[in-house]
Amino acid sequence: MQAAKKIIINMLLVAIFSFSFGTTFLFADEVSEIREMTKEKVDHVIITLKDDKLNKEEKKEEILKTIDGLFDFNLMARLSLGKKFWKKLSTEGRNEFTELFVERLKQSYLDKLDLYTDEEVVVDEAKLIKKKRVEVLTYLVSKDDKMEMTYKLYKTKKNVWMVYDVDVLGVSIVQTYRSQFSGVLKKESLEKLIERLRSSAELGS
Amino acid sequence: MPKIIPAYLTFIIIFSISILFVKGQVVFSQENTQETSNAFPLTESSADDEGGFEDEFEDEFEDEFAASGQEVFDPLSGYNRVMTGFNDGFYIFVLDPVARGYRWVLPDTARRGVKNFFHNILFPLRFVNNALQLKAKNAGEEFLRFSINSTIGILGFWDPAKDLFGLEAHEEDFGQTLGYYGVGGGFHVVLPFLGPSNLRDMFSLYPDMQMDPVNYVEKRPYNFPKQEGEYLGVSRPTIQALEMKLFKTVNNESLRIGQYENLKKDAIELYPFLRDVYEQNRAKLIRE
Repeated sequence: MQAAKKIIINMLLVAIFSFSFGTTFLFADEVSEIREMTKEKVDHVIITLKDDKLNKEEKKEEILKTIDGLFDFNLMARLSLGKKFWKKLSTEGRNEFTELFVERLKQSYLDKLDLYTDEEVVVDEAKLIKKKRVEVLTYLVSKDDKMEMTYKLYKTKKNVWMVYDVDVLGVSIVQTYRSQFSGVLKKESLEKLIERLRSSAELGS
Repeated sequence: MPKIIPAYLTFIIIFSISILFVKGQVVFSQENTQETSNAFPLTESSADDEGGFEDEFEDEFEDEFAASGQEVFDPLSGYNRVMTGFNDGFYIFVLDPVARGYRWVLPDTARRGVKNFFHNILFPLRFVNNALQLKAKNAGEEFLRFSINSTIGILGFWDPAKDLFGLEAHEEDFGQTLGYYGVGGGFHVVLPFLGPSNLRDMFSLYPDMQMDPVNYVEKRPYNFPKQEGEYLGVSRPTIQALEMKLFKTVNNESLRIGQYENLKKDAIELYPFLRDVYEQNRAKLIRE
């Protein structure tokens, strides 16, 4: 009797053990896949930047094409405005805001690349934060500086992983826009904010 | 034989429990998402078309960021805005042109050397604050870095500790130490010339200054020619320390020309933007 009990307990424990071990591997596999995917895209951006055969316009086009599949710009726009204000916008308002904001984000990204000289991107580890959230830690390494950049990805409905926010030295892009927008919207209307985005977009291009 | 079975059992128990602990978070969030996705199975396909997500799906994201429309305690915002404008003007019309001229005169290697030198002599600050935060390994590495760079690196103009030994610097200041022990930042204060800060970091400037050898420059006996006296009520050592700091600032700025302008482009309003960037960055530095 005593022995049978022991055997059952043992089997149970082994079952628990293998279950937890198995799921660890399952997730680990997906996470490393995401890391590879991010690395591939980021590396491609650097390769494009270094490519002497392309002129500036071609480089821009190629880079935007690369990051389009990696960044969920629409979600970023939505999160940056925040749920409270998003709900107040009409469908056209949402579309216009998204369009202007995405344009701004892309322009800002391209501007940052203008400062590019000889930096290398080191893709560090990818961490599973929640079931549908993964953070990929990367470093932009130059001669005397090391800048930490974290890409935050989520799993979309179509089972693709996409970036919804980037932390640069701990500063979240979405969070920064969020507090700015909510600050502006305390004083001004949504229409005025969109107006401001529109005029700065015209200035930038 | 009877002795082996309990040992084997405890091993498996401990092992499984430890793995379950690690996995706990994942299992928990798995349950969470299952609940939410069961609540609205029908809206899944139509949601993407109108550019909208279900509320629950979005709430998951919303929780990750600070609530929008949330008031930041900022009693000095009026002054801070004015001072941000002043600092911005100072940077664009004074510091940046000077740094550009300086860059034109001195080659890259020399400027990097000067930067390394000033960074190296700030070793006491990093060492003490790493130690205060009980980061023994980092403090040890800082000590090694200082020893290597001051000798092989010729007074710290080169950084062989990083280049040859792979030892990275561990930046810590007193504000971070206070933050590490749970002291909050307090409200935001923009300092003239020095830029964004907060109550905690502002008061930490004083202990930080005591750790900066630049402030002890006059006390070195071989400082020649030795000049005594006061200029406009400011003592000679203070002026010398200021000169050194100015030199350090111009030199460091010359190595990152264009970065501030580039960062500024992301701002819708400069003051809240810079405040946010500063506070988020400090929070991250303290977390580490």
